[in-house]
Formats: sequence, C-alpha cells, structure tokens
Amino acid sequence: MPDSMLFAALALVCAAALGELLWRRFGWPRPAAYAAVGLAVGVSGADVAGTAPALRLALDGALALLLFEAGARLNLRWLGRNPSLLWTSLCEALLSAVAVYGIARLLDVSAQAAAALGVIAMSVSPAVVQRVVGECHAAGQVTERLRLLSTLNTLYAILAMQCLIAGFLLFDAATWQQAWPPLLFSFCASLLLGVALGSILVAVARRLDLRSDSAVVLLLCFILSALLIAKLLQLSTLLVPLLAGMWLRNRSERPWVWPHQFGSAGAALILVMFVATGASVSLDVWPAALGLAAAMLAIRALTKSAAILALAGPSGLAVRQAVALGGTMLPLSATAWVLALDFAATHPTAGAALLPAVLAAIALIDVIAPVVMFNVLRHMGELDGARPPGGGER
Amino acid sequence: MSIETFTQSEAFTLGIELELQIVNRHDYDLAPGAEDLLRLIGRRTLRADVKPEITSSMIELSTGICHDHREALDQLVEVRDALVECAARQNLRVCGGGTHAFQDWSRRRIYDTPRFQQVSQLYGYLSKQFTVFGQHVHIGCSNPDDALWLLHALSRYMPSVIALSASSPFVQGTDTGFHSARLNTVASFPLSGRAPFVLTWRGFEQYFDKMTRTGVVESMKDFYWDIRPKPEFGTIEVRVMDTPLSVTRAADIAAYLQCLARWLLIERPFQPDEDDYLVYSYNRFQACRFGLDGVNVDPRTADRASIRERIAATLEPLAPHAAALGSAAGLAGIRAVLSNEVPADACWLRAQQDAEQFLPEIVRRQCVRFED
Repeated sequence: MPDSMLFAALALVCAAALGELLWRRFGWPRPAAYAAVGLAVGVSGADVAGTAPALRLALDGALALLLFEAGARLNLRWLGRNPSLLWTSLCEALLSAVAVYGIARLLDVSAQAAAALGVIAMSVSPAVVQRVVGECHAAGQVTERLRLLSTLNTLYAILAMQCLIAGFLLFDAATWQQAWPPLLFSFCASLLLGVALGSILVAVARRLDLRSDSAVVLLLCFILSALLIAKLLQLSTLLVPLLAGMWLRNRSERPWVWPHQFGSAGAALILVMFVATGASVSLDVWPAALGLAAAMLAIRALTKSAAILALAGPSGLAVRQAVALGGTMLPLSATAWVLALDFAATHPTAGAALLPAVLAAIALIDVIAPVVMFNVLRHMGELDGARPPGGGER
Repeated sequence: MSIETFTQSEAFTLGIELELQIVNRHDYDLAPGAEDLLRLIGRRTLRADVKPEITSSMIELSTGICHDHREALDQLVEVRDALVECAARQNLRVCGGGTHAFQDWSRRRIYDTPRFQQVSQLYGYLSKQFTVFGQHVHIGCSNPDDALWLLHALSRYMPSVIALSASSPFVQGTDTGFHSARLNTVASFPLSGRAPFVLTWRGFEQYFDKMTRTGVVESMKDFYWDIRPKPEFGTIEVRVMDTPLSVTRAADIAAYLQCLARWLLIERPFQPDEDDYLVYSYNRFQACRFGLDGVNVDPRTADRASIRERIAATLEPLAPHAAALGSAAGLAGIRAVLSNEVPADACWLRAQQDAEQFLPEIVRRQCVRFED
C-alpha cells in the first residue's frame, strides 16, 4: 500500500511537471499532459486506479467542483432568448446517443450495454471544457456554446442514465418492486440536495467576496460536504453539484464572479482527477474494445457536428464557427467514467461489456481532445489577447 | 496627399455616433463579440449603421443624416433595440458608459482590419487602452469656412458637453474620482487635444499639406482632436463626449450641440480668438474631474462660474433656435439634468456602487439602463 501511494504521488508530480512544460513550451492545455501520464500509469499496470477509495474520493471531489462550475455558467435564460440553441442541444445529444446505440448493436454489443454507451456518448465532459477554457482564458461564441452544450448534454446524460438504470430494473419482473423506492428517493433527494447546496451558496455569495481565499475555502467545504452526503445516501454525485450550480446561476440576474479554478486546492484536485481517470485504463481490460470505441467516437463526433451545423443559421452561428464547435465536442473523461461505474454498479453483467469500451474510448480521446479543443479555439481567435498562442504566459 | 474636398451639406443637420461596450452575461466583463453582432445585425434593414471599432469588445452605431432631435432619437432607439436583440441571441449584452468599470485592457483583442492593425502597430499598448467609449456628434455645415469658424467658436462649450455626458468614473476596478476619466486615455495620443487655430479652409488645407509632408499624418483620421472637420461628410465632428448611459441622453446632448451651432453661426455672439484656448485645457480638466459642478473660467473676462451655471445661461438664447430646429425636447432633457431632476450619469454610477460595492452588478445595471 505505501508503495502504491508513493507511486501515485510520483505520477502526480510527473503529470504536474509535464503539464507545466507543455503549457510553457507550446501553450498546450495542462489536462492533456495529466491524461497522458495517467494513461502511462494505467498501461504500466501499476495499481493506483481510480477504484482506490482515496483516489475515487479525490476524483469525485474534483468532478463535483468542475460540474458545479459548469452548472453555475449555464444561463437557462439564453435558451429562452435563442430557442434554436435548445433544439441544437437536444438534437446533438439525441442523435449521438441513437447513432452510438446503433453502431454498438451492429458490433454485437448487448442492448443494455449499447443503450448505456449511447447515453454516455451524449455527454461532452464539462470538466475538460471548463479546465481548458479556464486555462486559456478563451472567450467567444464557440467557447460560450461549447460550455453551454457540454453542460446541457451532460445533464441529459446524467438524467438519462438514471432513467436507464431505473428502466431496466423496473421492466424486470423480479426486481421492479424493490427497485422503484430507492430510485425515486435517489432522484428526488439529489434534486433537493442540489437545490439546498445552491441556496446556501447564494447566501454565501451575497455576504462574501467570492474572490477572497476565505470565501473559496468555505465554498469548497460546502461542495465537498454535499458530495459526501450524496455518497452516504447513495445519490448521484454528478447531479447534485451540477444542479447546485444551475440553481445558483439561474435564481437571479446578479452577475456571478467565479473564483478562478477554486485556487490551488481545486487545481490539485483536478490534477488528481485527470490522472486517476487515465490510470483506470489498464491494459488487461480495454484493447479488445478498441474497435468499438473508435467507431463510437467517430460516429459521435460526426452526429454532433452534423446537428450543430444543421442548426447553425437559426441559432446565429457562422458556418466556420459551427464546424469549429463540432470539432471541439470530443472530450469524454471522468464524467463518462463515473456514469459507466454507476451503471455497472447496478447492472454488473452489462457493465462488464460497457466498462472496457468506455475505458478504450477514454484512452483514445483523453489526450487528444484538450489539444484539439485548444487549437480550434486558437484558430478561431478565441484565446486571451494577453497570452500569445503557443507562447505560454507572459 | 492633399485633403479631400469639403462636401457641402445641409446646415445644422446632425449625425450621432455611439461607441458601445459588449459584455458577457456571466461576470459582465467585456466580451469579444463585435464580429458576431455585426453578422447578425447585417441581416436587418436599419436606418442607422453599425461598424466595428478598434477592439473586438466595442461596437459603433451611427445614425444617418438627421434634421432634429426626434429623428435622431428614433434612429437611435431602432438600432439600439436591434443590437440588444442580436446580443441577447449570443448571450451578450451592450451598454453605454465612457469606460468599462473593471476590464483588464491587456486582455483586449484588436479587431482584424488593416486600419486597426496599422493603428495597433503604431501605438502599441495605447491602442488596447483605447478601449474607451465615446459619443461623436456631426454638425452639417454649408461651407468649409463656416465649419472652421464653428469648430473654434464651439470650443468654449466643450466643458459643457463633457460634463453632460460624463459617465466614466471607474477605470480598471477603481473609482478615479473623475466624472469622465475616459478623456485621460485619449490624451495619450500624440495628435489629440485641440485643432490648430485656423479659421479658413484655405488656411487649413495649407496646415494639412505641411503635416502630410512631415509624414506624421496621412488622413484626417490620424487627428484625434476634440473637434475636427470631416470634409467627406461636410461636417464638424465633436468627439469629447463619453457615451451616455442611455440613447435619450445621447440625443439630448446632440440636440444641444445642434442648437449651439445654429445660435453661433446665425447670431455670431462673439468672434473666436486664439486666446480662447488659454483656459481650454483647464476648463476641460474641471469638467472631467468635477462634472457639472466643475469651475469654468471665461477666457475673455476671467469670470468664474460652475459648468452647470454656464449651460443654464445658454438655454435662453438657444430656445428660439431649438424651436426653429424642432429640437426643443432635447433642451428639456438638458434642463432636467441641470436641475437634478434626473441624475448625471457619473453620479448615478457612483450611487449604485456605493449601495452595491460590486462593479459587475453596476455594469449589469448599466445594461438595463441602456435597454430601457
């Protein structure tokens, strides 16, 4: 155990150093390096995977912070002002889910696992999006819509996964009577806890300057406490922080000044999250699923791009922006992994077929996606004017 | 390169340009949305025009040629509504105000046109710091000599319009103590300040030829004077004002300038003199620093009065001209500001900040005020 912890610590040091090197040398986003080191650890067979309780908690904590931030940036009123955006979001999520389900069935994946894969494919990891956009200080229509669509499709994926888990159990004559009370409880309690956390944070934000260190610590503590309550009550650890952020953002028009990446503690948690997700990808599990994962990623990228492009005009996006936005909708990362673990926990048989495919997809896309996203945003001129492309920080 | 011919235009017609802030709806910082807004607004048929400005977080709207206050206000309201609607579709907002309260100038992006890139090359960081927002008013002149005479006669009223429009008390997150801090940024440019004292177009052509021979300027656009002739439009352009927080205030100030121009050119109450400029910078500073309560020194008599009193004293002689031009409603708006019936923009911004202590919320309220 001490050896394993030491190895994990060394992996984190390597990831942080490589991330810094790539950022300063090429201006590349750090998550690409974190994921690369995580993958190397996973492939090496070292036992530091995200299943270890401490690492899993760090992973959940970091994911909660990033999902909370994603929720807090989701302005639902925008959908009212520009309904074509809602249609874009629904179409890209639905099309990608159906297409991935279809391709998985063609490749002889069971209906249950294929459906779960379809649901997971809906989501574009808001964790990666938030982190890359935050690091590059990107701003513009592609960035703004990437944030919106990734948060919305993750929300759909989380809800759809809950329905899917419930649906399979409820349709099974042997389990339906025992299945529905805990599922209903999980769903309602997740909603209530998310709303409660959001309301507390509204109160904190009203009284404290959220850019101050003490306020950030308080915010972190509230989010992590809510996460622990969610775990204790077996609620969705993804839905609670996302809803809390959305509740906070959409209750009033008052501006929300974001404490940048929750300071050093948040940045450290996020480093752990990316490395732990990568490290889950051990060689003995996923190579056989590479073909399925590649097909899934390709059809997912294609359908998402097609939906965005089809509705670009009505939603007020130029064609080149729509193409760029489609190109950035790649990341899977920790959200997909946690969704897959949640599904596998209730459906072990289908989960056994699902997990290798998700891990293979993560292995294929986790390093590439942040770099592609960064370069697309740079090409579109959406990176910070004070940070020259490829030149790192001045 | 010689100066272009002064186009004859109908006397006392007016045109208004407003440089506006584009902000995001999250923390209300400036957002680089000019290109997206221009694309959407380009699909509409409007009487006013919308153009890019030096950085991508700015956008400029300009009315067509207007005859009176009502026509100008109608055009401003029409284009304002269109812009607000297009911005809403992009999750953006637009607002007035001479400066953005807390933006970081180093994060601004130069809008990609040859002219703006050239300005950026020449002026370096000043061009990004030039992310300030002004109102420009064009007054039509029937001949170029009248234009130059009016330009210098109007100069003593610049403190009045600076104080009326002042809406830039905050810069880089700090209360500057000024009512209009924007003009301090403009002052960094080498060809800013006042125009040379030349009262005939022939004389001005000679001055322009000498300047182009030095290679320092190529066109009238290179002069950042407070008032400059615009031969291509047949106007003089008054450029000292901050963009007010509402289009109504912008139209009122334009109408005030229109009435001043008619009064000055028709009644010729005094003859402009080089010595008028002895107190020009001091009076201008007082207006920027203290707004309507600043001190104004008469260049001829050395008599002192507040800017508020100076403006009030002009309203009576301007009244018949306002009636003749159909711009009396504009003067009524000016009167309301002088009597504190409606607050001056800088005072309103400070009062909001005193209550909220949160500049992003102040920018949000600026947006609401602009949209009303």
